[in-house]
Order: sequence, then structure tokens, then C-alpha cells
Amino acid sequence: MAFTITCPVCGPRDGYEFRFGGEDKGPRPEAADLTPAAWCDYVHMADSRPGVQKEWWVHRQGCGAWFTIHRDTVANQEVSLNLLEAAE
Amino acid sequence: MLGRFKRLWDAKPMKTHYDAVIIGGGLHGLATAYFLARNHGLTDVAVIEKRYIGFGAAGRNTAIVRANQRTQENLPLYKEALDLWPVLTRELDFNLMFYNCGNLNLAHSEAALKAMRLQVASAQFQGIDSRLLDAKECRELVPALDISDRPRYPIFGGMFHPPGGIVRHDAVVWGLARGAAKRGVHIHQGTSATGIGVEGGKAAWVDTDRGRIRTPRVLNAAGAYSAGLANRFLGQRLPISVLTIQAMVTQPLKPLLHHVVSSGAYHCYANQTLKGEIATGAHMDPWPNYTTQTTAHYIKHQAEAVTEFLPCLKGLKFMRTWGGLADMTPDMAPIMDGHSPAEGYYLDCGWGYFGFKSSTVTGKYMAQYMATGECPEILKPFALKRFEEHRLMGETAALVDYTANN
Repeated sequence: MAFTITCPVCGPRDGYEFRFGGEDKGPRPEAADLTPAAWCDYVHMADSRPGVQKEWWVHRQGCGAWFTIHRDTVANQEVSLNLLEAAE
Repeated sequence: MLGRFKRLWDAKPMKTHYDAVIIGGGLHGLATAYFLARNHGLTDVAVIEKRYIGFGAAGRNTAIVRANQRTQENLPLYKEALDLWPVLTRELDFNLMFYNCGNLNLAHSEAALKAMRLQVASAQFQGIDSRLLDAKECRELVPALDISDRPRYPIFGGMFHPPGGIVRHDAVVWGLARGAAKRGVHIHQGTSATGIGVEGGKAAWVDTDRGRIRTPRVLNAAGAYSAGLANRFLGQRLPISVLTIQAMVTQPLKPLLHHVVSSGAYHCYANQTLKGEIATGAHMDPWPNYTTQTTAHYIKHQAEAVTEFLPCLKGLKFMRTWGGLADMTPDMAPIMDGHSPAEGYYLDCGWGYFGFKSSTVTGKYMAQYMATGECPEILKPFALKRFEEHRLMGETAALVDYTANN
């Protein structure tokens, strides 16, 4: 299973150089008026839907950059955003 | 004799109404169906399976069973599960090939041994046979072990759990399916669930690609796909990451390993199957993934790891390798819940790589939950609410997050 991720700094690299950083859940919720339910949702919960998702990665064994990509979790392949937009 | 096999169960036409519908024809779904019929007289039950029964994790796990978990909430459940194998073998009249050879878990540091001391004490407190061994005793148990200081992580000792072992996973699938079908349960293979209907806050139907089934009880036991289904059908979000776990077997050997041997430090377990192959696995690529593909990266890792503490296996060939999906929660403990977000909707998921050893006992208690509507005492700590209340369980080996976010 070849798995390549495109780092915005280093370009396409072997997937094992990276560390997964979770589904993209938007900005961290504000501390004011934060309920346990909302915090739990942000920290633990995920959609976990098979298919294309926006997600965080860090180039741990490389430049250390954090970035988001779109990846199809059913094929385990990075998906180009341009292709995604063209399909919509 | 040859060729005169009778089918274990007959496919029945799908009805438009059942008393309970179970999504997922894996071990948890089949066991729940079996116990609904056996213990609660609820025989008007349908099991909906997208592929064929045992296609997913039920037929892909490495068949290891044990009860030496870490926490007081989990231990009694796994103990009962372990005690059930011989009982079910008789009851189902199906040879589940339970081989209670015992599990030896290796410690490669003083710290690991210390953690095992707590784990052993917790198990013993629950009446589960679990003992600490020093390195020499480990070697007496498994003469092939290298207890010298040659490996990168030398063996300091181990935790021996005599009542554990291996069970033939396919036999459990077939035995439970036959037992359930005999009591009237309908098993619909090749049928995928496409929606769950809610009416007035109550679960009312399950949509499938073969039509709508009305039912007052729905169990989501779809294994790796349960979180995605819950999200798609009901908007429910779960603390689950689905990772691919890989395993492989070597060419067959004469009897060599008489116990399941595992090592947390090497991320590796090995046992000799009754066919003589060494079955080994444990690695997960740490990102969500719904493929069951295997990787050269891991085959190399596995060969290196297993031959570090079992050097006599050097030069063996791997014959097969495969992958399965594990739905991991942050605390390595499952989620068993009901009546949320809809009354009559039940959830049994998040088993990670403990789903096989726990399947039968979970089926028993989920069946009780579904039949009575009341959560059995033993399942209460596993409610989804624990994440919101910061009552995560300590089933992880160390203070790490076992989801892919780690």
C-alpha cells in the first residue's frame, strides 16, 4: 500500500514520515461559556464517516509543518482539492 | 459421507417487520441475536449483514482470548467471556476449538514489570488467574525465548495468564449463526442498512437496500462501520477512530510455541495455530483508514520484532498477510449504550482489538438490555456519557491516546 502525502513545504513524501492530527473540527471553542458537552465534542468526538474528509497532519520526520489535506479514507489516498471542486 | 453436508441455516425471505433488527452480522451482532432468542424468547429478530457473516473483524482477528484486562469495570466482563467458551461449545454443539494454552505477556523493563504487578493484582482481585514470572520462569514456559541481553529490549519478566488461549473464530461465527437461526432468527446476508427511522423520539424502522423493516429495537453492531453509520443515520458523533490492523502467518512448523506470547515493547504477539503456523500481528498504521490493505513496511517490522525475542524463527517465510479494521476509542474501552439519541436504538461499538474475546458475553448483556430496555449493571460504566464526564477508563497500557490523534 503506497501512501503519499503532500507537505506544503517538502512536497510529496512517504506517508510514514507524517503523523495524523485528527479530523478538521474548525477552530478551538472559546473558553467562555464552554459546556462539558461542547468541549467533549471538540476533544473526543468525530464524524468517522468513510470517504473524503478534511484532516490535519504534521510532517513529524520532516520540516514539522502542520497542514490540512483532503483524503479519501476508503482508498487511503490524498485527494486533490481542485479535483474535488471540479466534481461538485 | 463426503459431499453430504447440510446447510447450517436456511436463508429466509425478509419480512417488513421484526421485533428487533441488528445491523452487522459479525460476532457481536450474531451473539446478541442468539441470546435474544435463547434467554429472552425474542425470536422475531433480523440480522442485517452487508457482505457475509464473519466477513469483517470476526474472521480477521488473531483469535486470541484472555481476561487479564486492566480495570475493575472491564475485568468481570472478560472473565465471564472466557468462562463462556466451553459452555457455548456444548450448548451450540459446535467445536469452537477453544485451546486454553495460556498467554505470556513479556516485560522488557523494570517499569513494564511494575505496571504488570498492578495488572496482575487487579486480575487476581477479580478471581482471574494471572501471575508474574521472572525471565528464567518465562524461558521455562517457552524454551524458544531469548532471555539473554542480546535483543535490543531484553526480557525482564512476564505476566502469565493460564486460562487464556485461542478460539477458532470462524467456528464461533458459524455456531452462533446456526444456534440463532435454529431459534428463529433471520440472517440476511448481502443486505446493507441505508438508514434508521425515528418516530416521536423512538426508533421505528431500518431502511435497507432491500426495503424498509419496521422495528421497535435497533442495534448498531456494525463494527468498524458503526461510527460512520451512527453519524450518517442519526447525526451521532462518537469518539472513534477506525484503524487498519495487520496480521500474518508463517509457513507451518512442528509444535514449538505452546502459549500465546506477546510483547508490548515490540508491538507484537505470536502464537502457533493448530495447523502449525505462527500467527503474528499487532501493528496499526496510526491514521483512520477503511482499507484492509497490508504494507511491506509492517511485514518487515513484524519479522524483525518477532525474531528478536524468538530468534529461532529467523529465516521462516510468511505465507499470508491480511488486514482488518479496529474501531479505537481514546481509553481502549468499548461503548455500549442505548436509548440515545432515540429510544430503542442501541449501540455496541468501539471495541478496538478486543472485540473477538468479548463478543459472546457482550451479546448476552446487550440482549438483556434490548429485551428489558434496562441497562444491565455490568454495562453501565461503558456509556458514551463517560467522555463528557471525564471518566475515561484506564485500559490503555500507558498514558497515551490510542486513537489516531496521538
